[in-house]
Amino acid sequence: MGRIVFVLAALPSLAASVWGSLQLVSDKPPAESSLVWVDGLSLSFTFQISPIASLMTVIISGIGVCVFIYSFGYFSKDSPGLGKFSATLLLFSTSMLGLVWSDSVWTLFVFWELTSITSFLLIGHKNMYAQARLSARRALLITASGGLCLLAGLLIISDNAGTSRLSEMSSTGSVSVAALLIMVAAATKSAQFPFHVWLPGAMAAPTPVSAYLHSATMVKAGVVIAALFSPIFIETEVWKYLGLFFGVISMLWGAIGALRQFDAKLILAWGTVSQLGLMFTLLSLGNAKATFAAIAIVVAHAVFKAALFMIVGEIDVRAGTRDIRELSGLAKSMPLAFLVAIVSAASMAGVPPLLGFAAKEAAIEAALGLSGLEAWLIGGSIVFGSALTVAYTLRFLLGVFTTKKAVDAISVKPASFGLSLPSAFLGLCSLVGFIFLPLVSGWVSSASVQINQKADVYQLYRWPGLTEAFLLSVAIVIVGSFLGWKLEQIIKSEAKPLGAELADSIISTVLNLAKKITGKVQHGSLPLYVTTMALTASLATIPFFFALDLTQIYWADNWAQIVLVMLILGSSFTVVTLRSRLGAAISLGFVGLCVTGLFVAHGAPDLALTQLLVETVIVVGFVIGLGKLAHGFPSVVAIWRGARLLVSAFVGVAVMVSLLSSASSPTGVPPIADLVEKSKTDGGGNNVVNVILTDIRVLDTLAEITVLVVVGIGILALAKSKQPRSVRERAINQESVS
Amino acid sequence: MIRSDSPILRIGVKVISPLALLVATYLFFAGHNQPGGGFSAGLVMGAVVVLRTVTGLQKSSQVTKLLAIGTIIAACVGVVPVFFGEPMLTQSIWETSLPLLGKVKFGSALIFDFGVTLVVVGMVTAAIEGLGGTQYMSFDGEDL
Repeated sequence: MGRIVFVLAALPSLAASVWGSLQLVSDKPPAESSLVWVDGLSLSFTFQISPIASLMTVIISGIGVCVFIYSFGYFSKDSPGLGKFSATLLLFSTSMLGLVWSDSVWTLFVFWELTSITSFLLIGHKNMYAQARLSARRALLITASGGLCLLAGLLIISDNAGTSRLSEMSSTGSVSVAALLIMVAAATKSAQFPFHVWLPGAMAAPTPVSAYLHSATMVKAGVVIAALFSPIFIETEVWKYLGLFFGVISMLWGAIGALRQFDAKLILAWGTVSQLGLMFTLLSLGNAKATFAAIAIVVAHAVFKAALFMIVGEIDVRAGTRDIRELSGLAKSMPLAFLVAIVSAASMAGVPPLLGFAAKEAAIEAALGLSGLEAWLIGGSIVFGSALTVAYTLRFLLGVFTTKKAVDAISVKPASFGLSLPSAFLGLCSLVGFIFLPLVSGWVSSASVQINQKADVYQLYRWPGLTEAFLLSVAIVIVGSFLGWKLEQIIKSEAKPLGAELADSIISTVLNLAKKITGKVQHGSLPLYVTTMALTASLATIPFFFALDLTQIYWADNWAQIVLVMLILGSSFTVVTLRSRLGAAISLGFVGLCVTGLFVAHGAPDLALTQLLVETVIVVGFVIGLGKLAHGFPSVVAIWRGARLLVSAFVGVAVMVSLLSSASSPTGVPPIADLVEKSKTDGGGNNVVNVILTDIRVLDTLAEITVLVVVGIGILALAKSKQPRSVRERAINQESVS
Repeated sequence: MIRSDSPILRIGVKVISPLALLVATYLFFAGHNQPGGGFSAGLVMGAVVVLRTVTGLQKSSQVTKLLAIGTIIAACVGVVPVFFGEPMLTQSIWETSLPLLGKVKFGSALIFDFGVTLVVVGMVTAAIEGLGGTQYMSFDGEDL
C-alpha cells in the first residue's frame, strides 16, 4: 500500500469535518443517538451533537485531514509500519470524536481511555528507540492514572445525580470529591503542571502525531472535559481554585520552559503547556466572558499550533535538524515555510490581523473584567503569560529562520507538495478566520452558551477600537518582543528536564519494588503454588460452615449412589497412597468415571456425557505427560507430605460443606420450572441444560470460552517459553544496534 | 513412552477418526433437544486430535487460529442483535421446511455453539501441545 493509506485515511475525516460544519451552521436541536447495551445498569453508548461537540468535530476532523495529507509528505516511500501508523492515527481521530460526542459518562470514559492508548501507541511508533518507549510509557502512566481519577469522579457524580447523561446533570448534583477527581483527570490529559512532564517527552513521536495529538486535539480533551463539567461544578470551590492553580502555574511555567529550549519542537511543546494553562485559567474563572474567551482560544490555538508543528516537521525532514543552534538561513531557503510560520506565530502572539489576535483580545478583556485580588493575581498572570508567549514566539522565529553569523547556512532538500500544502492551508486559516470573524464568533458563542448561558452577549472583534484591552495588547507585544530578543541572546545552555526525570525515577522505583515482591511471592515451586491457592480458596468457604443446616440433609436417593460413592472413596485413597504415577493416573480416571456414574444415577445425562468426554481427554493427556516423567513420584520430607495431606483434606471438607450448606438452605422456589418453560418458548429447544448454556445464560458461556481461550494461549506461551535463547537474544541485539 | 509407531494403534485411530467426527457432528446437532451440544462435540473432536497427535498422524495444528475464530464467531453472534435494536446475545430462530429433512429449525445459538466447539477443540489441542504432544508430530507418518 505504501503512503497511499494516508489518502484513504483522510476520507473519513473529510466526511466528518463536512458533516460537523453542516451541524455548526444548522439551527436544528442537537442530534442524538443511543445504543443501549445493558439496560438495567444504564450502560449505553449515547451521543449528542451539542454546539461544543460540532465545533470540536470541525477542529478534530479538519486538522485530521491536514495531518493525513501532511503524513503523506512527511514519511518517505519505504518507511516501515505506515499501515499500522495510519490505522492508529485514524483510530485516535475516531476516539476523539467519540469523546466529544458522548453524552453518557460511560461512553465518555471509554473514548477517553482509547485516546490515551492510541496516544501511547503513536508516541512509541519508533519503538526501536529506547527514548520513544520511555516517553510513551511515561505518557501512558500519567494519562491512564488520570483516567482512573476520571472513572472514580464519574462514578460519584453519576451516582449522586441519579443519571449517567451529561445533558441531564445539573449543579445540584455536585460533589467536591468528584470535582477534585475530574479536574485532576482533565489536568493530566491536558498536560497541566505538575502532570505536564509527559508532553515534552511525547515529542519523540513522528511530527504528524505531535501536530495532531499533542497540540490540536488530544490535549484539548482535558479542556473539553473541564468545559463540559463546569456547568455542574460551577458552584464548587475546589473545582474553581484547583483549575486556577493548574492553569496559572502551567501558563507561566510552560512559557518559561519554552524560553529555555533549543529544540524547535520542544519550544512549541512547552508553548502548548502554556496555552492549555491559559484555557484552564479562563474556564475555571467561571464567568461568561472568560468562558467565551477560552473557547475562542481553543479554536485559534488548534489552527496556529498545528501549522507551526507542521513547519517544524518540514524543517526536520528537509534540513535534517531542528536544533535552533544549528539552523541558519532558512528564511531564504524555505520562503513559503517562513511566511506560514510568521503568520501562525503572529497569531500565537496575538498580533492583528489574525484569528489569534481576536481570541487574545477576548482573554485580555476577560482579565480586565476581574476585580479585587483576582484581578491582580489571575489577571496579572494572564497579562504576564501573554508577554512571555510573545517572547517565546520571537525566540522560535529568530532561532529557526534567521541567518546566524557563527553558523553556515544549512542546505535544504527540495520542497514537497504534501509537506507544504497542509501547513500553508492552516496558516491561511488563521487569516481567513479573521476575515470571516463574525462567523467564527458565532460558533464560539453558541459553544460557550452551552457552558454558560450568559455568554451570548459576547463576540470577537476585528477592530475593538482604542480600548484598554487593545492598549494592553500593544504593550504586551512590545514588552514580550523585547524580552524575547534579550533572552534569545542570554540563554545559551539547555534546561534539564527535571520533572520528567523525577516521573521516570518514580516509575522505575515502583517497577523495581514490584520485581522484588514478585521474586518473593513467585518462588517457582509448583506444589507450593497449588497448596497456597487451594488453601486460600478453601478458607473462603469458612462462612458456609456456619450456614450448615443438618436437618435438611438426607443420605442418598438410591443404592447405586451409595455404591458409587464407596468406589470413589476407595479409589481416591488409592490415588493418595500409590507411589507409581501411572497407577495414580488410572485411579484418578476411575474416580472420574464413578462421578460420571453418579451423574447418571442422579438423572443428569448431559453432565455425565461431558464428564465422560473430559475424563477421556484427560487420560490421553496423562499418557503423553507420563511418557516424559519418571515412573514413581519423587519422595518428599514427611512434614511437607503431612502438610499437603492436611491441606488436601481441608479442601475436600471445604467443598463438601459449602455444597451441603448451599443445598440445605434454599432461598425461594427452585428456578427449574421457570427454566424449562423458558427453554421451550424463548430458546426453542427441549434440552434445558443446553438452552441455558447457549441462550438463557449465554453471557456466562461467552465469558467462559473467553477464559478457555486465555488459558489456551497461556499454555501455548508457557510451552513456547522454553524455546532456544537465541531468538530472544537476537531481538535484544537489534535493539541495541538502533 | 508410547509406541507411536504401532501399526495396530495407528490403523485403529485412522479408522475411528471419521466415525468419531460423525459422532461429534451428531452430538453438535442433537444438543438442542437431547444430551450433547457444542461443548461435547468439541471434546470428542479434541479427543480425535489428541489421539492422532499421539500416533503421529497429526502433522501440525493451527491452535491459535481455532481459538481466535471460535471466540470471534461467538462474540459476533452476541453483538449482531445489538445492531437490530435487541439486547446483546438475543437468539433469533428461523424455521423452514426442506426437502427430505422436513421441518427444520435453525437458531443463532447453533452458530454460537459452533464457536464454542472450535474454542474447546483449540483448548484441548493447546493443552496437548503444551504438555509435549509436539514431539510426536515430528514423527514422519507414512501413509498406511
